[in-house]
Amino acid sequence: MRSPARDLLELPPYSLPQDEKRAMLLPRLEALTRHHYEACAPYRDIVDRVFGGLGAVDFGRLEGLPFLPVSLFKTHELRSVPDAAVLKVLTSSGTTGQRVSRVAVDAETSQVQSAVLVKVAQHFLGKERLPMVILDHPGVVKDRSSHSARAAGILGMAQFGYRPFYALREDMSLDAEGLVAYLDSMRDRRILLFGFTWMVWQHFVGALERLGLRPDLSRGVLVHSGGWKKLRDLAVTAGEFRERLRALTGLPRVIDFYGMVEQVGSVYFENELHLLQAPIYSEVIVRDPVTLEPLPDGRPGLLQVVSCLPTSYPGHSLLTEDLGVIRGADLPGTELKGRAFEVLGRVPRADLRGCGDTFEPRAA
Amino acid sequence: MSGPGSARPRPWTGLDSVTVLAPDSPGRDFPAFLDATLAAGGVPFAPERREVIHALSAAFLADPLLRRDAASVAAAYWMRRARVERLASDFERRVQAEPAVVRVPVGRVFHLAPANVDTLFIYSWALAFLCGNANVVRLSQERTPVVEAMLDAIRVVAREHAVLRAGDRFVTYEHDAAATEAISAWCSHRVIWGGSETVAALRPLALNPHASERVFGNKFSYSVFAAARYLAAGADERARVASGFFNDLFWFDQMACSSPHVLFWVGSEAEMEPAIVAFEADLQAEVDRRGFVPQAASAVQRRAFAFELAADSDVRVGLGHPGFVGIRVREAGGLNRESCGGGLLRHYRLDRLENLAGFAEEGDQTVTHFGFGADELRGFALLAGSRGVDRVVPVGEALAFDVVWDGYDLLDDFTRRVRVRSA
Repeated sequence: MRSPARDLLELPPYSLPQDEKRAMLLPRLEALTRHHYEACAPYRDIVDRVFGGLGAVDFGRLEGLPFLPVSLFKTHELRSVPDAAVLKVLTSSGTTGQRVSRVAVDAETSQVQSAVLVKVAQHFLGKERLPMVILDHPGVVKDRSSHSARAAGILGMAQFGYRPFYALREDMSLDAEGLVAYLDSMRDRRILLFGFTWMVWQHFVGALERLGLRPDLSRGVLVHSGGWKKLRDLAVTAGEFRERLRALTGLPRVIDFYGMVEQVGSVYFENELHLLQAPIYSEVIVRDPVTLEPLPDGRPGLLQVVSCLPTSYPGHSLLTEDLGVIRGADLPGTELKGRAFEVLGRVPRADLRGCGDTFEPRAA
Repeated sequence: MSGPGSARPRPWTGLDSVTVLAPDSPGRDFPAFLDATLAAGGVPFAPERREVIHALSAAFLADPLLRRDAASVAAAYWMRRARVERLASDFERRVQAEPAVVRVPVGRVFHLAPANVDTLFIYSWALAFLCGNANVVRLSQERTPVVEAMLDAIRVVAREHAVLRAGDRFVTYEHDAAATEAISAWCSHRVIWGGSETVAALRPLALNPHASERVFGNKFSYSVFAAARYLAAGADERARVASGFFNDLFWFDQMACSSPHVLFWVGSEAEMEPAIVAFEADLQAEVDRRGFVPQAASAVQRRAFAFELAADSDVRVGLGHPGFVGIRVREAGGLNRESCGGGLLRHYRLDRLENLAGFAEEGDQTVTHFGFGADELRGFALLAGSRGVDRVVPVGEALAFDVVWDGYDLLDDFTRRVRVRSA
């Protein structure tokens, strides 16, 4: 199937007011739902067994679409193309022992993912490729056999830069001399920096402070992602994160983004108000975690992400395990149209009482 | 020094990794406690021991936190004077029934309590204590507020009761095979309250060669209703059943060994659907009546489980009730013994109660029931019990503690029979 996102590539990614955008997305999502119902047996089974079949689905609004819990990509192989058509299998990062998501991507989905990511990123970074500093170590992307989410994130962003410089060594220590030399060689040029939020804080900000270094990044823009959990545990706010970077390096622009391996491409970048912004290809819905009722703006709940991109796997409507809150749509203070929202972190782990083990598994 | 007493190895000498939580013990000299209790000997159901349990029951009920926790209130009720007296007379009857036997305490009991069924340790300890034993109860390093409140009560009661100060220690320690082995060398009975992983990890650790052991692995439990009988029941009776079922399901977030995961309906196809609809409405009404709102994480977890099941087997998932997820299972493949807790209930139809016996297997524990007669249930227990079921009890009693647990009589475990022939 041709991705319904293809004919949106001519449009600027934040150009449609909310109502128009929804009206545009709705038939695309219906088409994707019907496509995956035909092409993916487990998806069809779930639509039939959980949502009462296609006949019972309310295609009149995005909130009526069937959805999958995102965790299902960890337990089941979900694809809507023959095995032979699968170009690559994207996997989520997970610590050892954790199950990882496996997402089957074919040529069509892969092309559209890249094209959409380019549209979104260029909106913020400009069309010109920039010298790029990656706040990670090169080993992450060397092992091409595994497309870890960390590697995929770096490779995805690397297309917006050139002469990538990896600022960290294998042991995650900062290559300060290399960084200073690189910045010297790129003097007076805009610089793109990319890293995962926690590593930027721990291994870049932390190292600069320890070493008393103040590299000049006043022409830089940092794009980062990966969630705030560890920083939240340290009571570091997003504002403080940006402020510390500015104080140390003069970095004027820091852009957080939210995305997941199950919906590569249609990612959510931060707008000028420091809220995440849904582009025309995707939408967020917030639901009550227990009743699943869609919630109005301002009420925190479980995030559902809807994307008109994926045709090779049924990832067009996913219920995440993240909590979020919608702050409104077509907001004043930003040119960007569409919904703006915040991610509030993971649903806290269930504090279940039960016949748990006396000793945790590592007992002798 | 020589003599019979000193021949015993005392691997606990110098043991310093164990923290005593209660009772407050001066100097916290745990190895000295183990030395001092080696020769301890109480009398089963001695009046001063009963007094301790009564006092604790009262202290639990006076605690504001415990008074609000249904599982703790149930524990306190189980320890009330009348219940303990009844237990004592049960015990006395057993003694009378065996004139050639004198019942003595097993001696020293080492309890390894589960981390999450947080109130279980108090039952295990109270029974062993009533039987006259010295006790070491190992609690998890991560203790719930309920456990902390119970320990507070124990500390207070211990100030008035020397028998508790002298013979009992509630302790914790990190994963430490040396500590477990030291206490295992001290004890004359070790009881490991599961689950299976813990049993596998701890069972190989050396035990005093004279000691006995009881272990409890993971269990699976379910419920069986007579569909026609449920449909015929009046509103009051149905509300009572729903209330009991709510307790069985939610007391420990459906994670206790006795929490039901499958509700079997005995009846025809035509009876089953209206029975399920009625029952789920009754259960949701009970959820609403109690103002119970599941944790977000429970809702996420049980929904993920339901979707996985839907991808794998012929089921119909109902997401319409906020209190729980109800799943109609149409093929036996959907009845695997995996469980997620948090309020996920699978419905499955059977033609006859006997058919349920065919489902039973080793590791099945509690079957709660509604709508069957005593003879039917005994017939079922006879068929199912040999395959694995341990308890067949009315709906609402799944989590009630019983001195016969998983088919083993704990009063027997915590005492020894000394045979006495006078001529």
